[in-house]
Amino acid sequence: MSAQPFNWRHLPGGRSLMTSLLVFLYAPLAILVIYSFNASRIVTVWGGFSTRWFGMVWDNPDIRRTAYTSITVAIMATILATAFAVAAALALERGRLPGLRGLSESLIALPLVVPEIVVAITTLVFFSAIGLKLGAGNLVIAHTVFCIPFALLPMRARLRDMGQSAENAARDLYASDWQVFRRITLPLMLPAIASGAMLSFVTSLDDFIISMMVADAGTTTLPVYVYGMMRVGVTPEVNAVSAILLGVSLLLVVMALLLTGRKPAAT
Amino acid sequence: MTRFGKIVLGAAFGLALGAQAQAQSKGELHIYNWTDYTSPELMKKFSEETGIKVTVDTYDSNETLLAKLKSGAAGYDIAVASHDFVQILSREGLIQKVHAAKFPDYGNLKKEWQSPAWDPGNEYSIPYDWGTTSFGYDTAVYTKPVDSLKTFYDPPAELKGKIGMFGSPTEVMSLVLVYLGKPQCNSNPADLKEAAAVLEKQKPSVKLYNSDGIQDRMASGETVAHQVWSGDFRRARAQRASLKYLFAKEGGIAWMDNIVVPAHAPNLENAKIFMQFMLKPENSGMHSTFAGYPTAVTGAEKFTDPAVATAPEYLPPKGWKYTFAPSCDEKAIRAYDRIWTKLRQ
Repeated sequence: MSAQPFNWRHLPGGRSLMTSLLVFLYAPLAILVIYSFNASRIVTVWGGFSTRWFGMVWDNPDIRRTAYTSITVAIMATILATAFAVAAALALERGRLPGLRGLSESLIALPLVVPEIVVAITTLVFFSAIGLKLGAGNLVIAHTVFCIPFALLPMRARLRDMGQSAENAARDLYASDWQVFRRITLPLMLPAIASGAMLSFVTSLDDFIISMMVADAGTTTLPVYVYGMMRVGVTPEVNAVSAILLGVSLLLVVMALLLTGRKPAAT
Repeated sequence: MTRFGKIVLGAAFGLALGAQAQAQSKGELHIYNWTDYTSPELMKKFSEETGIKVTVDTYDSNETLLAKLKSGAAGYDIAVASHDFVQILSREGLIQKVHAAKFPDYGNLKKEWQSPAWDPGNEYSIPYDWGTTSFGYDTAVYTKPVDSLKTFYDPPAELKGKIGMFGSPTEVMSLVLVYLGKPQCNSNPADLKEAAAVLEKQKPSVKLYNSDGIQDRMASGETVAHQVWSGDFRRARAQRASLKYLFAKEGGIAWMDNIVVPAHAPNLENAKIFMQFMLKPENSGMHSTFAGYPTAVTGAEKFTDPAVATAPEYLPPKGWKYTFAPSCDEKAIRAYDRIWTKLRQ
């Protein structure tokens, strides 16, 4: 008997299990997108191909207003979260944090671990306790917090992958810390920064629970609005909005993956 | 890093300033309402008449409204809450008194809707609109005449397995209690046993318990009878003409949505102006056309689209018995939940 090393890829039935899992996960999304092109008013009955729901989405002033809010908040939160994440990535990968690294890492990752509804409610209670009334600013702050770990992920990976030889070489040539960062580290990190920014943009754009709770007067976001639309009955208009959101998110995530996957230019 | 620090600080600062300036400008009204429940034309009319800028935020349920107000979300001047939640909100001090009875147009409210049980003297609220809860069914599937809720609780062969029920225990229980002629918010064991027996017996005929997407299920024929809100059913009937809403001989459930002013509303005076605006028949009629539900204002019918106002579900027939399901005490809710848990096992 030839001793073949265990390989989970050759697990009996693994392929079919995987296929059915993928279908289970993605079929609803496919159906959602397909039915957004449904000519019939009834979501579950196919009435021919039509793009009229996308037209209706475009003509709906509420959707446009809430989409505007969502995008503004996402852009602001992305800028802030990316800035914080760059600092955090450098500190965690290049800095000297005796005894503090573990603590900092867990603190940053906390929004990923704590149930979102808990974060949402505590944030809202905290904001109203300190009387913070910044309109969309409240949302930006809340979103920034949970976007940071997403932005951080590709940056840390990049810093670890690219090694320190280029930076050490620069230091040998008497470059100051700032020069090393400006000329070496930042350019090498740039794809990861862009990718992190896109991930945080998507995370912010798609967020529902925290937005619903934290949103101040005048700042209903698109996902919150779409969720409310379902109360009145799911029309293909809901499918169309969801399909657009899905499309934008997919595009950004794919771009983020492509950027991180790119080989470093310096090596 | 200093440069990044500056950018971050600058961005946050600019944002804060912008928001502050926005909050300080006068003549605003922030409405917090269910999604697709505020007529854009009506808001335009309000802004043109009063010069007050309106923003509308939306939520999906009374519970969301309660949760947000309770955790201290401020900034809303107007909210819309169902009648049972008006009591809860006022008890918790989350809405404030506006003394609507002192409004000059208060008399426009129909006598029967003045000073309702959930808000004596209209201290906190004025009605937004109201509707009923009953069953609707497809006359193409079940052709015999129907006058009793019995048809749905003990269904004939044609309806078996194709009945839809609401997904919330309180709403399911309140209609069953009407069917049995028992009082609402019931914690009498004998009554509850009877109600549970009806639901258990009906269960094999029920396709699903879900309050969302009823329109779709009825319009597509996935269910042929459903516990339903009157306005929802009208939209379903627009897509399938053979649907019929039942005003049963046992009666039915009614609900009313009400305009309230959250405590700490930043623009209290504008909120009052808005409430008075909604008491005018022409505005109330415009709202009725948009929402598809009758309002409580005298003469609003004249300004409501006849296609809406003459729909068979719009108003119950004269003399039809309906009960406003009140917010029940804990004992009744617990009992309902027990029955519900057992039913859904």
